[in-house]
Amino acid sequence: MDLMKWEGQRMPDLWNAFDSMRSDLDRALDFFTFPESAGIYDHARAPAVDVIERPEEYEVVADLPGVGRKDLEVSITGSILTIKGDKKAEIEGGKRRFFRRETWIGSFARTIDLPDRVDPASVKAELKDGVLRVRIGKREEAKQRIVSVEVR
Amino acid sequence: MDRNESRELRAARRPASAVYEDGDKVMVSVEMPGVTKEGLEVRIEGNELSIRGTPAVEETGGSWLLRERRPGVFAKAFTLDDTIDRDKVEASLNEGVLELTLHVKEAAKPRRIEIG
Repeated sequence: MDLMKWEGQRMPDLWNAFDSMRSDLDRALDFFTFPESAGIYDHARAPAVDVIERPEEYEVVADLPGVGRKDLEVSITGSILTIKGDKKAEIEGGKRRFFRRETWIGSFARTIDLPDRVDPASVKAELKDGVLRVRIGKREEAKQRIVSVEVR
Repeated sequence: MDRNESRELRAARRPASAVYEDGDKVMVSVEMPGVTKEGLEVRIEGNELSIRGTPAVEETGGSWLLRERRPGVFAKAFTLDDTIDRDKVEASLNEGVLELTLHVKEAAKPRRIEIG
């Protein structure tokens, strides 16, 4: 671990700032326009993703409602995690007429560049209730260790 | 509806949905990732079909490097047509997708009249 100046909180990420601006705007538009609008800058064809850092690991959480286990592929190359899959139609073939359709179908992919400290050998993925959780361990030397130093 | 509830509903996420006809049934599918059967409420009051899904609380135990998933309750309401049978609504929840099957009232179905 490098010795560096404590900055209190993490420096604000520019994209995060844009993202929160976008969601504020979406919320404002939600209020004024059609109540069911999904938002003009919506992440239409890439699942929304959270990345969480914990002392021992990273967790990537993605919303994938309606995606089956067999239609989903999760892979990691070095520190790059790829989530790929295919979202199937609500019903296959048959007679159907849509009155409203805000959902989308088709293939999607999302790549996430994780910090270098990840250990690609320790990855666990779980898909439950339409939410994918991928937990990637940190390399041994990157884990936070608390060492108490005796003061004389 | 009390004031707190209406504030909560305004902040709620509007889930993406699809409404389609399948033969003589009308299907409503609503995407609510993270919602289980326990957190789901489907209600019919008069002409309004309301859906509310509360996802399980997530313990983060860390800090976010990226946060795109909007937290909170899902809520959406649909207006039902008079031809929909209110007593025959089936619901199932799979992989975070709620599927409602609505039936058209027998009396509202087209009937072929035989000519004697």
